[in-house]
Amino acid sequence: MGKASQLFKTDLKGLDRLIKKLRSDGYVVYGPVKRGRSWFFLEIDSVKQVDLNYVRTVLPPKKLLHPPREKLFEFKLGDGFEVSEKPMPPTVALFGVHPCDLKAIERQDEFFSQTPEDPYYLARRRNALIIGLTCTRVDENCFCLSRGTGPEVSTGFDILITDVGNGYLLEPGSAKGLELLKSLGFQEVGDEYLEAKQKLIEELKKSFTKQMPPEGLAELAKSMLEHEVWKETAERCLSCGNCSLVCPTCYCFDVYDVLELNLRSGVRVRELDSCQLLEYAEVALGGNFRRNRFQRLRHWMLCKFGVAGGGLYSSCVGCGRCIVYCPANIDLTEVASRLRGGG
Amino acid sequence: MKLKVGVFKFTSCSGCQVELIRMNEQLPELLNLVEFKYWAMASSKLEDGPYDLALVEGAISTPECIEEVKAIREKSRVLVALGDCAVTGGVPSIRNWMSQREAETIVYPKPGYIRSTRVYGIDEYVKVDYYLKGCPPRLENILQVFKAVILGVKPRLRQHSVCVECKLYENECLLTTYKQPCMGPVTAAGCGAICPNVGRVCEGCYGPMSDPNVASMVERLREIGLSDDEIVRKFRKYAGMSKPYREVAKL
Ligand code: SF4
Ligand code: SF4
Ligand code: SF4
Ligand code: SF4
Ligand code: SF4
Repeated sequence: MGKASQLFKTDLKGLDRLIKKLRSDGYVVYGPVKRGRSWFFLEIDSVKQVDLNYVRTVLPPKKLLHPPREKLFEFKLGDGFEVSEKPMPPTVALFGVHPCDLKAIERQDEFFSQTPEDPYYLARRRNALIIGLTCTRVDENCFCLSRGTGPEVSTGFDILITDVGNGYLLEPGSAKGLELLKSLGFQEVGDEYLEAKQKLIEELKKSFTKQMPPEGLAELAKSMLEHEVWKETAERCLSCGNCSLVCPTCYCFDVYDVLELNLRSGVRVRELDSCQLLEYAEVALGGNFRRNRFQRLRHWMLCKFGVAGGGLYSSCVGCGRCIVYCPANIDLTEVASRLRGGG
Repeated sequence: MKLKVGVFKFTSCSGCQVELIRMNEQLPELLNLVEFKYWAMASSKLEDGPYDLALVEGAISTPECIEEVKAIREKSRVLVALGDCAVTGGVPSIRNWMSQREAETIVYPKPGYIRSTRVYGIDEYVKVDYYLKGCPPRLENILQVFKAVILGVKPRLRQHSVCVECKLYENECLLTTYKQPCMGPVTAAGCGAICPNVGRVCEGCYGPMSDPNVASMVERLREIGLSDDEIVRKFRKYAGMSKPYREVAKL
């Protein structure tokens, strides 16, 4: 916040114009669409398809930047070894990304920009346009507030949309975003709209019931590797992997080749993996660093608490997905509070 | 040198072999690499071993089967259990939970000829190198085993849960969202989550995943209202004789 920047305002029709403009600029636009009882980031061509009042999608928008399964390249053994990279992916615009997911994308950006850089992720990311959407409601499994990852955000978007009641406030977050807003001729408004937004956010903050503050959690968890909570929770854990496959901050993947029957050509694939799965830590000759379920569950939580894996790059942003999709009702905020000596 | 392959069948519906026959357009390519020395369903020319690769379909259910499967093992360098019946006893093993006489009289008008044993997967009697789970296993996975054996590498047959594939396709979760009795969290993947993809629960046809938490799954199914009897049937359906399920299946 703070820095006064240009602000704009529009209505639903204006948002629709924004989507159409992005499409005519060559973006494939994805937004939160309701199907059955859940929401999904799906390709959209009009604001009518979007539920601007959604809570969370099954898979985070990460799926469009770091796809759950993708072909990296094709290879062929001819005279030499030929590799054909697939053409550049379509440029995506993500419409309606909530603050927690914006923060998660920032973490993935940092992770995949480390040496060695990940060219596949970065190619998609560089061209992507991200339009954030301030939440209008939270449910019993949201806890971004305690993680410092929402419901306020000031970075990670090209444009941020907030429903301020009598229209949608549009804040540019990048030069690209500002240019877009100007080109659409949206009405410029003053700072009083920021105040209105802030009031809504303050109101929203009162609806949070769950929390998992990050302060000291990593150090605490690291010092309590033998705490009984790990084994007790692991008794319920199914090692199904749902929690990490839906997590917007998990980045682990597996790479494998699929050979054609000619045994001379094939494709290299990468696919989301999860440290909750037995095979994840398996090495040659069947050795396994985390054969016991409690070790795997503990590792996944330590990573989300900011200890294991990439430390802060993969730590939790409080979206609640892992809790919603855990068939065993395992809740990492409860584990954290037990480590802190509560409950 | 082409890989010498034998395909053998014990107690089963032959669906796994049908899956193999279904490959159609890939067959000529496969025949560049392998030679089927013994495959009664596809050819009347049946040659004795040794085989580089034996694909064994079906459960072991008679004393004769036991001798035969041991003989096949001796003649084969790599032996693969093809499909759930061979892996765990599969659907035929539901017969294990009734008396022998009862089962035989249901099936045969004159059960006097029948001498059957308890139904088991083949590894009750012989060492198995690779398990192709599924009822039936997906063709892709079968072909993967052929390729891996030719190249002398381990096939990539990951045994994580069906939930993993479900998430790769971003299905709505039938268990958590709809409280339906989906066996995905304990079932081995490999099918591509084809049932949840069309909104139907996983019935567990690939058998247990690697290290399934059976006790917790029983609790989860209780939570959504299944009776103990229904739960037992869920675990018996495809892999009741598998080691992880045996205890619950007898419950
Ligand atoms: S750990 Fe759970 S709540 Fe945290 S970001 Fe991942 S899915 Fe969301
Ligand atoms: S190591 Fe961390 S980032 Fe990787 S799957 Fe596990 S929890 Fe996710
Ligand atoms: S979703 Fe729940 S049961 Fe499944 S691996 Fe994660 S914590 Fe365990
Ligand atoms: S529908 Fe079944 S297989 Fe899919 S995620 Fe849910 S429990 Fe797992
Ligand atoms: S989803 Fe389950 S029942 Fe359906 S094919 Fe796959 S393993 Fe079999």
